Amino acid sequence: MPAPETAAPAKLKYAERPEWADVEPLQQYEIANPLAPILYSEEYKDATDYLRGIVKAGERSERVLELTEHVIRLNPAHYSAWQYRYETLVALSAPLDVELKLMDEFADKHLKTYQVWHHRRLLLLLTRKPAPELALIARILQRDEKNYHTWAHRQWLLAFFNEPSLWEGELDFVDTMMNKDVRNNSVWHHRFFVVFQSGVREGEEDRERILKRELIYVKQNISLAPNNASAWNYLRGVLEHTRQPFGSLAAFVQPYTVPLPASTTDIVDLENPPPGRDADLPCAAAIEFLADVYEERGGADNVDKAVELWRSLANEHDTIRKKYWEWRIREALATSS
Amino acid sequence: MDVPHPLPPLARSAHVAYVKHALANLPGSMVSLDASRMAIVFYCVGSLDVLGVLQTETSETDRTSWRTWIWEQYVAGRYGTGFKPGPFMSSSSSNARPAVPCEQDPPHIIMTYTALLSLAILRDDFTRLNRPGLLHFLGACQNKDGSFSSMPFGGGDSDLRNLYCAFCICSLLGDFSSINVERAISFIGSCRTYEGGYGQLPSCEAQAGTTYLAIAALRLAPPAPRPRLTTAERVRSEHWLIHSQDSLSGGFRGRTGKAPDACYCFWGGAALQILGAQDKLNAHEFTQFIASCQFRFGGIAKTPGQHPDPYHTYLSLAAAAMYAPRLDQNEQRYGQWEFAPFDPLVNARVDVVRWARERIPAPRRH
Ligand SMILES: [Zn+2]
Repeated sequence: MPAPETAAPAKLKYAERPEWADVEPLQQYEIANPLAPILYSEEYKDATDYLRGIVKAGERSERVLELTEHVIRLNPAHYSAWQYRYETLVALSAPLDVELKLMDEFADKHLKTYQVWHHRRLLLLLTRKPAPELALIARILQRDEKNYHTWAHRQWLLAFFNEPSLWEGELDFVDTMMNKDVRNNSVWHHRFFVVFQSGVREGEEDRERILKRELIYVKQNISLAPNNASAWNYLRGVLEHTRQPFGSLAAFVQPYTVPLPASTTDIVDLENPPPGRDADLPCAAAIEFLADVYEERGGADNVDKAVELWRSLANEHDTIRKKYWEWRIREALATSS
Repeated sequence: MDVPHPLPPLARSAHVAYVKHALANLPGSMVSLDASRMAIVFYCVGSLDVLGVLQTETSETDRTSWRTWIWEQYVAGRYGTGFKPGPFMSSSSSNARPAVPCEQDPPHIIMTYTALLSLAILRDDFTRLNRPGLLHFLGACQNKDGSFSSMPFGGGDSDLRNLYCAFCICSLLGDFSSINVERAISFIGSCRTYEGGYGQLPSCEAQAGTTYLAIAALRLAPPAPRPRLTTAERVRSEHWLIHSQDSLSGGFRGRTGKAPDACYCFWGGAALQILGAQDKLNAHEFTQFIASCQFRFGGIAKTPGQHPDPYHTYLSLAAAAMYAPRLDQNEQRYGQWEFAPFDPLVNARVDVVRWARERIPAPRRH
């Protein structure tokens, strides 16, 4: 749990500030035997006493923004302070660019807090200016490449506003992130979302071409780093989404299911890029894929081949999932006989 | 692999001391839990219950006063009735609350779920529960797209966590009449991803926690003419979940390619139980990972060597409880890792769920 941040060198307590003298502070009501009580700091107690006072009075003013910011800095998960702040911004028609600027700092500091992103989304629904967000998100993702809230925010932004200009640079962005870490599943997921799950945009109508492009992309990636679950999941996802048989990839997958041959030739084969020289083979995900190909083809011979591959996973290449592979074997034999 | 490492001891008494301490007081550094205290209460009381020591380690006086605190967070308004996370916005007793309810301090759907379960663990008789009010509250939290906000009328964030809690409460009440089930189901469908898991919101990456929530909600929903998941979907989900078990540590990952974390042993492990695939994972390595996350001085952390918290402590114990029957009973320390039966769907011991299902619904009229 992140330690709470202490706000800027405390000015006087609200109780000691004349400009707050007209507000009646309200202490938190707690029964005699509280459960899981938190040992609040004096600063938090003081600030929340005034927050309860302000909320009860229903005040909407500039100083509410100051107070709620203070409370949020002490506890960024204080959803009531966030909500009251938002309603006050709306009531005052406060300049939202100022608020967003402040929120840039919060997004950086508290990127794992739900409320920070929820508030941001509410603001964007008012400003309806999504474009500058993409750069901010990209910056935060440089620092925390798999942050769930940040990716979710980007996906929401693209899907909700759905402006052609927003999508334009998205595949380049995916490439930049992928180059940093080819095993970052958030990037693979984002690519799938951009290519297959967000409608067909201009220039992408030729779905045959897109499918081919994506298969080349994922095959290249597997050839560079075969033991990458994200890439194999992407490959499976693309084939299932476009209803292509797994068998169409058999020739590509086969070399990854066996040990690396002693001598390799440097062939450039875009259709079936071979494993690199330092690949750690055989690759469990490839063996599994090939077994699925045999199972898909059906017939006793193919089932036997699949069973043999599953057995090698159970006993050698993926022993943690032994029970799972043994179950696959039983199922396949039961349905084929 | 044929001779697995024997399980380490389960430090039961240290964990009991850890959660009892948290119930008695939380340090100021945990102030970010101020708006979710009810959930912390659930994790702590639930830990005592899963460890089977609630009756021996706490007095009737304790349990009565805990129930009193939970009911103190019960509020009513034009949005119906439900529970707040705690008194963080209250300046007076909710019992003495004036006729005009405070709109800034409404009940919260996740806190309502954790409060009801905590009360069932503490064997409350639920005579104070206003059932129509609770149903009304759940209805007021549902959005047009079928999702649920954490608070009425679109307040707070909306994602699968709230939806699961709404479904679970309806299931315990035996009444789904105040919400639009089919719309909610289609929202769940929009969170499904190509990997076979579910994201927190539509178009988000598959994550084990939200995958549990989705799969559990589909199972809690009233029966439909056709199964809520097609065979192909179920197989795909099972495949993704089974592959979330890390081959080195035995722990579960929250997302593809991430490091394992004890809480995902619960989310992934429970989802597999609901799918009926509990025999397909390696229970020994699974429990071994949880054992390795135990903190020296009590409590369980997300990964070995980290500091514990009530959330990871409870979910780890619950995960171990679910998979205890799948351990080898000849195992030297089997007895230490044995637990009473656990219900993966509601996330409580089977006994507690039975109590809840008997007392939470409206008493039958004769
Ligand atoms: Zn965790």
